[in-house]
Amino acid sequence: MFSQLKQRFGSPLSVAIVALIAVWLIGLVILPQLIMVNYSLKPNLLPGEIGGVQDQYTLSNYATLFNNTIHLSIFFKTIWSSVLVTFLTLVVSYPLAFYLAKVATPRQAALCLLLLIIPFWINEILRTFSWYIILAYKGPLNALLLELGLINRPVRFLSGDGGVLIGMVYAYILFMIFPIYNAIESLDSNQIKAARNLGASWLRTHYRVVIPHAKPGIATGCIMTFMLAAGSYAVPALLGSPGSRWFTQIIYNWFFEGGDWNQGAAYAFLLLIICIGFIALVMKVFKVGLGDIAR
Amino acid sequence: MDRSVHLNNAIMRFGEFTAVEKMDLKIESGEFFSFLGPSGCGKTTILNMISGFLEPSEGGVYIGDQSMAGVPANKRPTSMIFQNLALFPLMTVAENIEFGLEVRGVSKAERKKTSDRLLELVALEGSGEKKVSELSGGQKQRIAIARALAVEPQVLLLDEPLSALDLKLRQHMRTELKEIQRKTGITFIYITHDQGEALTMSDRVAVMSAGKLQQVADPITLYREPETAFVASFVGENNAIPCRVLESSEGYAVVDAGSLGSLVGRIKRPIMPSVSATLFVRPEGLKLGCEGEFTLSATLAEVNFEGSYLTLTASLANQQVVAIQLRANQYNEAMIAGSALTLSFDRQDAIVIAGEANDV
Repeated sequence: MFSQLKQRFGSPLSVAIVALIAVWLIGLVILPQLIMVNYSLKPNLLPGEIGGVQDQYTLSNYATLFNNTIHLSIFFKTIWSSVLVTFLTLVVSYPLAFYLAKVATPRQAALCLLLLIIPFWINEILRTFSWYIILAYKGPLNALLLELGLINRPVRFLSGDGGVLIGMVYAYILFMIFPIYNAIESLDSNQIKAARNLGASWLRTHYRVVIPHAKPGIATGCIMTFMLAAGSYAVPALLGSPGSRWFTQIIYNWFFEGGDWNQGAAYAFLLLIICIGFIALVMKVFKVGLGDIAR
Repeated sequence: MDRSVHLNNAIMRFGEFTAVEKMDLKIESGEFFSFLGPSGCGKTTILNMISGFLEPSEGGVYIGDQSMAGVPANKRPTSMIFQNLALFPLMTVAENIEFGLEVRGVSKAERKKTSDRLLELVALEGSGEKKVSELSGGQKQRIAIARALAVEPQVLLLDEPLSALDLKLRQHMRTELKEIQRKTGITFIYITHDQGEALTMSDRVAVMSAGKLQQVADPITLYREPETAFVASFVGENNAIPCRVLESSEGYAVVDAGSLGSLVGRIKRPIMPSVSATLFVRPEGLKLGCEGEFTLSATLAEVNFEGSYLTLTASLANQQVVAIQLRANQYNEAMIAGSALTLSFDRQDAIVIAGEANDV
């Protein structure tokens, strides 16, 4: 691979490219992670005790989670809710992605994409706050639903997981739409016509032709959305209630309120392991390989 | 079973643009019917109207005696062979063929029976478990045919399906398509810009230009008796000599072809004197020497040997370039560029059509 680079860019530039990648990978990804692994395997000690008899490798930080039923339930709720967010985002995104890729005229598609992207020029905190206002007990959404007669009294959107779910679906929708859109766009439109022509209903055309083709895109979107949801901090912090805490908030608390980095690191790794496990599962279910996703 | 297709004054507009002008055309049950025309003439739009991917802006489509108005594409008794075939790459060959049956809820055993039978019909027995990507171009072609036939359509629509194949295979597939059509009795509607394909396979051909039907006829009539200047120049090779009508009577017209003198050709219907017209003579209608009724002197420009025949290109006294087709054994060494030639033709072999050939 290096010889290919050398052929294309010449020696000095190739060395620089490889060096930059190495610095990024080793210095900014691998080393910090190793430091965190090291933290997570050691007890939380006072500065004076570091290097002393108590400074020994232990799994006790990892065990903490399994001994704390509240933390454990939040942990699983976070995973489950992230699955739900991923599923809801997929349900919302797939029709939209199909419309953009195969139904809309190029003009309509461009306009739609612009409308989807513009809100993302505003930072996540502000966008999430706007949902806070929309979903508030005396907010515009409740007012609208009351006006339409769909509800008798205002709904407390923000007290359960509802607000968090809505906020996250909105926050991560682009990460789902784009991979699916790309995948569907590469489908030859004649394949859809052929399926219709052979008598397939719309549902079956999607199930047998469009979705199998878009599978790598769907898997990529699901993985990204799930990772972002499980690792989200701002949305649950703003739209959640004490009853709907996210596991990331507990990790945050260990680090910055409990001052126990070792414990926080262990929790963070448990989340990471579960997330990787989830990705592996999704890839198995969708029968896609790493190569399909990188495409 | 009535497998006819009737375009009942169908019009297709896209905004301001009229892709297909008012068309009233009946394609007979079990006919091999071709639409022939240059790209962009609206022939694919017609296919889309019959298959249900487009609804005509006005008028209607009938299959048998059933109106297709409001019948969606997946409920019509048609099936289509696409230009790029559009086989499903993620399915096996058998799954491709069986797709239309799967959709209709046919049992697995029944489906297998049909796909085996069709694989045999297209001479690809035992390829059912292969992936589409493992097939050659010609094999893919046959699978596309088998897939389209599996749903037992009343009408098979073919959208330039042979255009991606090489010459030999294309010629072979022509015979095969014709054979399949004969065996199944299905109405074939074939779209092509290749006149060779249209002429060799079809019972009747509709020549189209700019959304309009120019002429609908069997291939021989189309070649011998073109009705419009477009048909005369689009179907087969033709030499078009611009002229002005002097008088017309009894199936013939006398024309003034400027420096070429006055010539005579056949006409379908009388043309008013002094109307500008075109006299068409096929390359095989021009003879070498002066045994024909009308002689033209020319200068030889080029000799092209094409196997069984020979094409000469020559320029006439008015600088117009014409092609002459000879049998290969008529070649002699004196045929070199720049030499003088005498050409002649009989009035039987010339056709006069009002209008100019470059109107096309």
